[in-house]
Amino acid sequence: MEIELKVKRFDPEDAKNTPYFKGYKFDIEESATVLDSLIKIREEIDGTLTFRCSCRSAICGSCAMVINGQAGLACNTKLLDLTSKSSNEVLIEPVNNLPIIKDLVADFKPFWNKIDATNPWLQPNGTPPKQEYMASNEAMLNLANVMACIMCGACVSDCTVLNVDSNFLGPAALAKSYRFIADPRDDADKSRLSEMNESGGVWDCTRCMQCVEVCPKGVDPMGKIMETREKIMEAGMTNTFGAKHATAVSNHIEHSGRIDEFRLPLQSKGIFNFKEIIKLMLPGLRFALKKRAPSPFHFKNPNQTFVKKLFKKVEK
Amino acid sequence: MEYAFFPGCVSRGACPELFVSTIEVCSILGIELDYESMKGASCTGSGILQEKNQKLGDTLNARTFALAEKSGNPLLTICSTCQGVMSQANKRMSENPEYLKEINKSLAEEGLEYSGNLEPKHLLWAILEDIGVDKLKFLVKHPLQGLKFAPFYGCYLIRPSTALDFTGHPERETALETVIEAVGAEVTDFSGKNLCCGFPILMINETNSVNMVARHTDEAKNNGADAMVTPCPLCHLNLDGYQPQASKAAGHTIGLPILHLPQMLGLALGIDPKALKLNRHIISSEKILSLLFVKP
Amino acid sequence: MEYDVVVVGAGLAGMRAALAAKNNGVSVAVITKVHPVRSHSNAAQGGINAALTDRGDTWEDHAFDTIKGSDYLADQDAVEVMCREAGQEVINMEHMGVIFSRDAEGKLGTRAFGGQRQARTFFVADFTGQALLHVLYEQTIKSEINVYEEWFILSLIINDEKCEGLIIMDIKSGKIEALKAKAVIMASGGLGRIFEPSTNALICTGDGMALAYRGGAQLMDMEMVQYHPTTLKSNGALMSEGARGEGAYLINANGDRFMETYAPNMKELASRDVVSRSEQTEINEGRGVDGCVFLDCRHLGEKVINEKLSQIKELAYDFANVDMTKEPVPIRPGMHYQMGGIKTNIDGETKIPGLYAAGEVACVSVHGGNRLGANSLLDTLVFGRRSGEHASDRTKTERFSSIDSKLIEDQKTLIQGLLDQPNDSEMFGSIRLDMGKTMNEHLAVFRTQQGMETALTKISELKNRYKTVHVPDKGKVFNTNLIFTLELGFMLDCAESIVISGLERKESRGAHTRIDYPDRDDNNWLKHILVSLKNQNKIIEYQDVKITQWETQKRTY
Repeated sequence: MEIELKVKRFDPEDAKNTPYFKGYKFDIEESATVLDSLIKIREEIDGTLTFRCSCRSAICGSCAMVINGQAGLACNTKLLDLTSKSSNEVLIEPVNNLPIIKDLVADFKPFWNKIDATNPWLQPNGTPPKQEYMASNEAMLNLANVMACIMCGACVSDCTVLNVDSNFLGPAALAKSYRFIADPRDDADKSRLSEMNESGGVWDCTRCMQCVEVCPKGVDPMGKIMETREKIMEAGMTNTFGAKHATAVSNHIEHSGRIDEFRLPLQSKGIFNFKEIIKLMLPGLRFALKKRAPSPFHFKNPNQTFVKKLFKKVEK
Repeated sequence: MEYAFFPGCVSRGACPELFVSTIEVCSILGIELDYESMKGASCTGSGILQEKNQKLGDTLNARTFALAEKSGNPLLTICSTCQGVMSQANKRMSENPEYLKEINKSLAEEGLEYSGNLEPKHLLWAILEDIGVDKLKFLVKHPLQGLKFAPFYGCYLIRPSTALDFTGHPERETALETVIEAVGAEVTDFSGKNLCCGFPILMINETNSVNMVARHTDEAKNNGADAMVTPCPLCHLNLDGYQPQASKAAGHTIGLPILHLPQMLGLALGIDPKALKLNRHIISSEKILSLLFVKP
Repeated sequence: MEYDVVVVGAGLAGMRAALAAKNNGVSVAVITKVHPVRSHSNAAQGGINAALTDRGDTWEDHAFDTIKGSDYLADQDAVEVMCREAGQEVINMEHMGVIFSRDAEGKLGTRAFGGQRQARTFFVADFTGQALLHVLYEQTIKSEINVYEEWFILSLIINDEKCEGLIIMDIKSGKIEALKAKAVIMASGGLGRIFEPSTNALICTGDGMALAYRGGAQLMDMEMVQYHPTTLKSNGALMSEGARGEGAYLINANGDRFMETYAPNMKELASRDVVSRSEQTEINEGRGVDGCVFLDCRHLGEKVINEKLSQIKELAYDFANVDMTKEPVPIRPGMHYQMGGIKTNIDGETKIPGLYAAGEVACVSVHGGNRLGANSLLDTLVFGRRSGEHASDRTKTERFSSIDSKLIEDQKTLIQGLLDQPNDSEMFGSIRLDMGKTMNEHLAVFRTQQGMETALTKISELKNRYKTVHVPDKGKVFNTNLIFTLELGFMLDCAESIVISGLERKESRGAHTRIDYPDRDDNNWLKHILVSLKNQNKIIEYQDVKITQWETQKRTY
């Protein structure tokens, strides 16, 4: 089939030093992947095109790039799934949220630094046993899902938070941290959880699910972030805006069946946190002027007794 | 067509204009809203309750689904977040009969039981799938010609695509664009349309949240949009309500009106802007109304 | 820049060596052309063998299976070392954090693997290599080992027949530098890309073997190239032996389990060379479909497939459009592993003092004529660690020598020469493809004198074409085209040594099956073939196989 690849190019040694798109039109087998087509360009059409790739089977994590606007691996993305009757054009760009070295090659240093920052190695207490640590297969299977992460950076590329805040640890590093938090052999949970509780940690995630959607290995980084939040709260670390927010929402639903928009901001910030509460006043006033200020007299669900009972019944 | 109507917390709280405009629009579209049957339903948990206890969240949603089933009508939502949370819960329950059985045990006391077969539907999807674009076009009285709308979906209406059955309903992926065009307006594309508005972390990291608002609204405006339209009231709260802060962060006034989906529909269906409560927005919609030669 | 020990390559062997050396208190650097977690150890799916005595297994049984699997070409002293130390090495990895699958009691669980009478393969679903690699990477972060990521090795520094460092190039900037070392451990992996297709990653270009060969080291058992029995038809991707370990069948076009004929006892779990030959025979005799037979997993059920074979399920779906739970997967034998490599002793020492080798790049020899599945990961860890320990001990009595700056200039000139080549000649790609097809045609499952001679002529033609190859990218930053061109030079040297060794061995043993010499000939060929360079001349030498306690026997499965 005929295909047209529009590839974002960037040559750091070129005086102009600005990225541009270059189109490549050629024939390729219908079964070809994006990577096959890029290799074809590199070996037959334009030897200057630069990108990383290695295993061709979605295990080395080298070839993450933005394909038609969404991050993914070139090696397991089939061209046929990207083209349609009306268009055989495929747009190829380097990953987002990382500096670009050349063409599709990004500088992963910031990525690795964030992984390193989570102290990503097993920290058991005491001397190891003579034989293996005992652990259930279920616990290991649960970790297998997150260990399947190949560090390709697709999640980091499309993360909404990283898009505005480079301090955020990001989905890959947070999932890596969870891998140890959830490991029954690891005894550093407390320090790991308190680090994840810091600014740039799990509470900065907006739950937008971009990472879940683009992960080529089904790791579900956001799910791991949510599980870490849960463990943080269980460990009694509840003095963050995030934990207070989550607790408040849960309490509102338990008591009235609905989120109490009047109290939620106050309770998230802490009702004696005057500095923060003063900051809430301006937007609050704006809403009030438009007759949209939530009423302090909160609605109550007519069948709330049943909802309340469910809270009691569905204990963890 | 009659639906069990689940308006969600926000349309009855800080976005009352959404509730009102929905009622107005639905009556013209021929959608009957059965609000009574759903009055006892609770919040979906909004994804936040699920952080603490996913099963509890799923149980609350199963209860809502059971209430809808009892009414005999399909379930309609008007909030991307409600829709997404419900779809995810529904997927977990319908894929795992054992899990659903356990959840039903908790519901038994209230005499409720969920079959696992309901399909909660956002108004946006209902228009495409149940009403039909042709009928919508037919009902348009005042085509929004010359107006450019930037679509903003809200994360939960597009992700995870597996829970939202995009394979079975590929049209859902571009539903908002389809509707914008159906009412005679033009779509303004921008890279932020599928991203997060920042609302979930507004109380947690306001700087990031506001920067997201700034990025999306600024980009849409720069790409030529006259307004942005969203099927999610939570997105609206941030994109509209916090746009003044976003302008401050951006260093210039952005001034992009944000419309709820029913408000855009309402304008095209010839409903009086007053009835659509456009004047309740923080960012004034006057400019687009004047472009339409309608008095605000 | 100087380090006591410099490790080349950051796969399992390299990182294990680096950790061992670091724990021994010396300064260590790892040089790798890709980030450590991109290394090809990732691709090992099925598991790692070890005989754990507390489960009623013995290292002797493991050693026998390995030696029989090698078709008696493995050196038995080396096999003994590997099998004795296997258990401890697996336990070490578990302690570092590897999430091995467990049995009902919570102890490490095992699965059956080819050519072995005991289920002794420890595993992490079907991504054991990745699970080990990422854990070793974690340990290098913990141990604060210096890793030179995306640096390319241009040459060894050999002075007075001693290895004293490396000339290296930073891929990100094109900067060329010398790196002094008291010991260099070559752990740069295999050479699969010499063949087309191959299960190997695009980075497996035999760099280490060629560098050592050019530096005067000996390459041993190079004719022993493993064709894996189950590679995907479409792109040559590997379908783990773990599938057959879990009970999958091989069937031909008629739906018959043909392995019942070729290996009545072990059937699908016979040694890889045996299974690959059987498949190729079925295909050659017209009982295949489209050059393939089938891997049938349907009877394993969705639960087993999803829990233990999830990755290959995805591969089959992504690359062959087959749902493994519902249909048999078309597969064929495909180039997978090089048993041969830089000749070392059991401590990783090569003929060149100061130069060590471990992992696929090395040949101890523990795999002989055919490697057992799940012995490669074990080889990397045991001999990686031993090399790291021995090399770091050695450095305690060694000094750094000064390095002649001319060596750097020579490499700069060589690279400039490549860049200055006029743009009207061919690029590396067409030469590599011709080489790959030639090797896959003439040095595959069945070989002949004539075929290998054709290959030798072709390789020398390709070497000539290589002299005028051009590099279109003239830049310094991330010039991958330049890297591929340099790699092709390495590959051609390795390819030549494979063909030379293949022509030399006039018998059939292990993976080296000759139609013109169909039988194993223990009288004449119970010995290794070694190729080396002396004053630019190729030298062939022999070395008798070390037999400790297992006499040769007829090999049936």
